[in-house]
Amino acid sequence: MGKRYLWYTVSVTVIVIGLISLAIKGYHFGIDFLGGTELIVEFNRPPDVGTIRTMMDKEGFPRSEIKVFGQPNKILVRTQLQGEGTSVGDKIKAALGRTFPDQNPRVLQEQKIGPKIGAEFRRNALYAVISSLLAMSLYVAFRFKFIYGVGALVSLFHDVMVTLGLVSLVDGLTPYTNFEIDQNMIAAFLTLIGLSMNDTVVIFDRIRENQKIYRTMELKDLINKSLNDVLSRTIITSGTIFIITLILFFFGGEVNRGFAFALTIGITTGTYSSIYIASAIVLDYTLRKQSKKLKPAVAEKISYEAINQGS
Amino acid sequence: MKKNRGKIIFIALCVIFSIYFLYPTYSDYRLTQTLHGLTGQDSLKFLDDHENDIRQARLKRIKLGLDLQGGMRVVLEVNVLKLMEDLAKNKDDVFNTVMQEVRTEPRGIDEDIIDVLKVKFQTRQIRMSRYYGSIRDSDDDIVKKLKDESTNAIDRAMEIVRNRVDQYGVSEPSIQKQGARRIIVELPGVSKEAEVRQLLQGTALLEFKLVIDPEITSKVYNSIDKMLAGKPLTDSTSADTSKTTASNEDTSKVDTALNALPGEQVKAQEKAEKEHPFYALANPFLRPGEEQNWNGDLFSAEENKAKVMRILDQPEVKRLLPSDMSFVWEAKPRFVTEGKKFFALHAVKKQAEINGGVIVNAHATIDPSLNTPIVTMEMNSEGSREWARITGANVGKRLAIIMDGACFSAPVVRSKIVGGRSEISGMESVDEARLIEIVLKAGALPAPVEIVQQATVGPSLGEDSIRQGVWSALLAFGLTVVFMLMYYSTGGTMADIALLLNLLFVLGVLAGFQGTLTLPGIAGLILTMGIAVDANVLIFERIREESVTGKTLAAAIDAGYTRAFTAIFDANLTAFITGVILYQFGTGPVQGFALTLMIGIVASVFSAVVISRVIIEMLLERGKIVHFG
Repeated sequence: MGKRYLWYTVSVTVIVIGLISLAIKGYHFGIDFLGGTELIVEFNRPPDVGTIRTMMDKEGFPRSEIKVFGQPNKILVRTQLQGEGTSVGDKIKAALGRTFPDQNPRVLQEQKIGPKIGAEFRRNALYAVISSLLAMSLYVAFRFKFIYGVGALVSLFHDVMVTLGLVSLVDGLTPYTNFEIDQNMIAAFLTLIGLSMNDTVVIFDRIRENQKIYRTMELKDLINKSLNDVLSRTIITSGTIFIITLILFFFGGEVNRGFAFALTIGITTGTYSSIYIASAIVLDYTLRKQSKKLKPAVAEKISYEAINQGS
Repeated sequence: MKKNRGKIIFIALCVIFSIYFLYPTYSDYRLTQTLHGLTGQDSLKFLDDHENDIRQARLKRIKLGLDLQGGMRVVLEVNVLKLMEDLAKNKDDVFNTVMQEVRTEPRGIDEDIIDVLKVKFQTRQIRMSRYYGSIRDSDDDIVKKLKDESTNAIDRAMEIVRNRVDQYGVSEPSIQKQGARRIIVELPGVSKEAEVRQLLQGTALLEFKLVIDPEITSKVYNSIDKMLAGKPLTDSTSADTSKTTASNEDTSKVDTALNALPGEQVKAQEKAEKEHPFYALANPFLRPGEEQNWNGDLFSAEENKAKVMRILDQPEVKRLLPSDMSFVWEAKPRFVTEGKKFFALHAVKKQAEINGGVIVNAHATIDPSLNTPIVTMEMNSEGSREWARITGANVGKRLAIIMDGACFSAPVVRSKIVGGRSEISGMESVDEARLIEIVLKAGALPAPVEIVQQATVGPSLGEDSIRQGVWSALLAFGLTVVFMLMYYSTGGTMADIALLLNLLFVLGVLAGFQGTLTLPGIAGLILTMGIAVDANVLIFERIREESVTGKTLAAAIDAGYTRAFTAIFDANLTAFITGVILYQFGTGPVQGFALTLMIGIVASVFSAVVISRVIIEMLLERGKIVHFG
């Protein structure tokens, strides 16, 4: 706990980098949040993305998104433009068939999301993240002490920000890391909130228990002792889940990749934040309260003053 | 042993139930594998032999989400604005401008269009009764009525969609209402989008067709039956012409056919199948003495419907049919015996007597004097004239109500109906009356629906996903098992057994509650392994700590489990809460993830706190030493 200010700095730096990346690079919403039509098409040979782009422009879908999906012969085509029913998808399919007659383009997946639904999903996702953050902190505040709830809330928020920032940073760096903020990603965020909370609660639980045993111990030492007590558990559990999310990332398929990436980051920052953020905040808050108690509450009113009786 | 007897029995029950629930999934997999290995005639024979097994297994196996199985998911929404346009009495320029404004203005996602309309009309100081309802209605009354209409519209749309999907013949379709205005249709294994779209969006066709006289029908059916049995047709033209002499003999044939059939011994049934191949599939179900009053309906079990239609489609059978005769099934099963749903088959005239477009309104109520459900139906003036002529000419005959090729009822015409107001009675329940109301209205007032969301997943992508999911699950499982063994030795074995049972329980619960496994669901399953390990790690670390303080092994184990419990409880409850929130806000595949995660959390707490402990204590009682690293 002695080095906690260093770690505060590290956290703030990572979050700031993430925020800068979010501000400059931004992030991609998935089709379910944006609305529009999305096709995943498989070709016999890897097609030329430029040709598809010109084709889309000619068909009246400018600024479409075209990218490789997993393997080079699988292409994801997406436009935000809306049309009646599934007319957009049909038009794109017809055009692909004409442009690549010998490539036999096969539609692996087609999705159409109406604009209203997209807005609804976005709103639901936001509600879900906020309500789970609040629910977690309230639960902890209720089961432990109020300040523990605050510590939990700050650390969870920290995890979400770090992960969001890193997702934005890594997105698009390699063909294998095309991440989108879609429903799966939101599921990953909620899960990492749950896992990070899991870690935090185990540590808080031990602090609570040790407080009953070592009544006179300084809080700083008490927290350090509790952290050491559960350290091996933290390493084993987080290590196992880390390995599992890594497996999902590499072998779980294209659909689960973004999800697995967010979780891999999440489990790391979640473990870190339960120690260096959640516990540290509890410590700092208590220390501040104690130091305030030591100081006199009100300046002395009764005092001597020299009386100048004229001269 | 004694101390834990209750727990052991409980664990054993959980295991047995999980295996019981999972067995259909396994047997479905095995049957499908066998079927893939066979070709041509063999596979057909296998299908015939194992028809029942296959159906049972399909019904109870773990359902795969569309992202794994391939297929279409369509979300339809009732277009309230369009409905309001359709409902309006006289559309003047003002009305059209208002509609145009509402259509183009941006709106919040929660705003009710009917309320928006109300405000629009109010700011123009126009009473809504100018377009809707009757002149004396206040705006609030009309708004209430219109809102009712829009709820009715969703029921109507749903019935239309269900009817068409049923006839399209998709296996395991799912049609659900979501909220007040949306219908979610999931069609596994379907990829012909254009066809499905037509199926879901087109206007319903409602017709009234005359049911052909039972005397003619019975003769036709008898000759079909004879022909199929290989008996020479004594007089092939008798079906068409002579009514008098053959009639009695023929109906008695019908009689023998049935008496032999239901409930009798297998031998009698086989004999009946040989002698009356047609009636064995499509049975009039008459009791002795009823044959004179037979109304011409045949009943077939659900699985025989297709066979009956194939028979009726054979060219040699077609030659026996009068040229204006066609057949229509009832949309809903009439009765259920021995677990089989029986559907009625009607022989009707090919030409419809009248089209449903003439219906102005339909309403299901309770007849106050008789206290039975009835449906009232109103027609426009042109329809009323036609209706009077049709009913007048066909008193005592039946007029089938047919929507999109499926019959919903075939009431008898009691008298000539003049004035266009008819009453249909004789329904068995209010629900049946409601259904008829919905169907009658579907012809009059189409429920305008639009596709707001559509996803099609090709089967190959689904297969890829399953393979990747299964591989990562196995890999994660294997690594975790090995790691626990290495790190906790004997204790690790317990944890691994608990982990295995945990997986079994999650899948068992999923199968038992008819949950759906999606790709994110598999991810949830894999993640559950991590969570399950955590509870064990908490306990084992605690036991290690306790034994360092000099406790005996048994005391350390006891203390370890007790002390670790609060941490396990709090930690898992918080994770469970996120699962609940996710399930609440997510849709489709994401809900699948939340579901497996929640089941997994409960199962892992159970397997860590109860199962591993019981095993360890049993080992201790037998004097074995358990190592935790």
